Amino acid sequence: MSVSVELLRDNVEPQDSALFSAFILTATFWLLLTTAVGLLLSFKFPYPDWATSPFLSFGRLRAIHTNGTFYGWASIALSGAAIYIAARTSGIPIAGKAWAWFSLVCYNLAALCGTVTLDLGMNYGDQEYREWIWWVKLIFLLGVFFSGLTVVRTVAQRVEREIYISNWYTIGGFVFTLILSIVAIIPSYQIGLGQVAVQGFFMHNAVGMWFTFLALGATYYALPKLLNRPIYSYALGVLGFWTNLVFYPIIGAHHFEYSPLPWWFQTLAIVFSVGMLVPVWSGTANFALTMRGHGETVRRSYALPFIVVGVAYYFLGSTQGTIEAFRSLQSIWHFTNYTIGHSHATMYGFITFIAWGVIYALLPRATGKRPSAIASGMHFWFATIGVTFYVISLSVAGTLQGLTWAAGNPFIASVDAAAPYWVGRAVAGCLMFLAHIIFAYNVYLMTIAPRTETPKYEPTPRKTVSA
Amino acid sequence: MNRNVWTIVVASAVVYGLLAVLMGVVPGIVLSNTSPTEGLQPYTPEEQRGRDIYVSEGCEYCHTQNVRPLKQDLVFGRPSIAGDYAYDTPELLGDHRNGPDLTNIGNRQPSQTWQYIHLWNPRAVVHDSIMPRYTWLFTVKPKADPNDVVIPLPAAFRPSHGAIVATRDAQDLVAYLESLKQVPLKTKASK
Repeated sequence: MSVSVELLRDNVEPQDSALFSAFILTATFWLLLTTAVGLLLSFKFPYPDWATSPFLSFGRLRAIHTNGTFYGWASIALSGAAIYIAARTSGIPIAGKAWAWFSLVCYNLAALCGTVTLDLGMNYGDQEYREWIWWVKLIFLLGVFFSGLTVVRTVAQRVEREIYISNWYTIGGFVFTLILSIVAIIPSYQIGLGQVAVQGFFMHNAVGMWFTFLALGATYYALPKLLNRPIYSYALGVLGFWTNLVFYPIIGAHHFEYSPLPWWFQTLAIVFSVGMLVPVWSGTANFALTMRGHGETVRRSYALPFIVVGVAYYFLGSTQGTIEAFRSLQSIWHFTNYTIGHSHATMYGFITFIAWGVIYALLPRATGKRPSAIASGMHFWFATIGVTFYVISLSVAGTLQGLTWAAGNPFIASVDAAAPYWVGRAVAGCLMFLAHIIFAYNVYLMTIAPRTETPKYEPTPRKTVSA
Repeated sequence: MNRNVWTIVVASAVVYGLLAVLMGVVPGIVLSNTSPTEGLQPYTPEEQRGRDIYVSEGCEYCHTQNVRPLKQDLVFGRPSIAGDYAYDTPELLGDHRNGPDLTNIGNRQPSQTWQYIHLWNPRAVVHDSIMPRYTWLFTVKPKADPNDVVIPLPAAFRPSHGAIVATRDAQDLVAYLESLKQVPLKTKASK
């Protein structure tokens, strides 16, 4: 892998660069901590008698892994990218930086308090991806609000005529997540089966209306920037925005197929799960057509390979989600480890790879410091091979579990059938965690490490307005 | 494209807000008013406390409480119906079965002793089980008091000396598990 590309630096204020660096540094801390937890959990399948204190027990750590990767790692990294991109595409410095810093404090405080309270056994009723107790959620919401406000204020003061498509996506993500969180936090209409309906709505929207929008928005900026050519089609991007916005909120009930939720409600979710192919395939096509004919640029970049894998998993993971929603397949795959494979294909293969690609693309331009080429290559291959092996292991394990149940065998037969693949998953987890350590080293090089070269500033005239 | 950022903010908020009401709030309100299945009893304070332990320890991440109307689920009981969950807040339907469904576990495994042994060490009763041990729900005493709930264990799974005594947490949790009994349906179709 040769990385001899000249390092160009964005013409940014040092304060903007420091803010972006702080978002990525703290996000990286949560990535390391919560995936260490995930790795520990993966070893509890083959070794259930290992680390058996209440504070290291599966039932408590699982929520720390999911919430920490979602709201510590991915939310902070992608919010930081959204703020930085808003300023770049608006041609001005980040507006109201103090509130952006406040947002970062809130995010980290929420992740810290959430991790501690979950480990003490305090959670919001095992409701997946919203286990944090209410006041922790409120702290997190403040983070979302002030990050969103920073993006909106920056875009509002732009000197460019148009609002770039990236900002549509990221602003949408902040707005949707605020509404979603408020809907999900009010307890009065979440009693018994009512809560099941809200949970189906919440857990899917938290992924698809937050991370998907932030990641796609960041891709719409980073990809053309890295390739030095415009996005293939602005119109396809806008189509993706509106179809994702309208279809996605309807599909949540596909998490509760064959449950006592109304049958037509489940069917509606399945129908719109098929509808999701429109934004997914149009988005993928848009990115793929932008990259077409630039294989050599991809090969020479340390950021682009991550975006290529991220887009590939966006396509594969989301299409898989549509297929999984069909009743005939849900009857086998529901309740099995197959869904954990799916969630890693999407939250890791798609969201996390896009976050890495965007960080490798933008952070060196912000700070004027490069990551190590060899370390980037190792990070890429360990993570790519790791997550692929992870998804395959659990897809096989889940299929075997489902088939064992359908065959009418005793329950423990499904445990025995999946056991070898759980070892495979733990091995894959080791590779992924190794990749994260290497990534953390690169983040160090790109932020707080001493400067080793004098980068050139991008030869575009700087436009300034009073912030 | 649009030159005013607030148009994007307001337009996306209106569209999504509408969908959130239609797909989240309204179903929540309607289904929160589901009446209980005939004969279903609310939890006793002891069972409710046990349920809180169940939630606190994250049992739901491996055990569903949702019998689907599918052949492979009938081993767990009759298919769950809406009214079965009238007293279940937070809901614990779950979406993973690393362990079996517990909707009807009170009928399927009525032995409290089995439940205690299983919580102390699942592998004492199910050799290949991967369930974690919940040793912190028990205390090991040199000598048990007369009122203590002492857990009988095979020699291989017993500490070398002392008695294993269930704490109140363990007793409440087992009370909750024992309370998980499906109410038979009174319909013309039942055979």
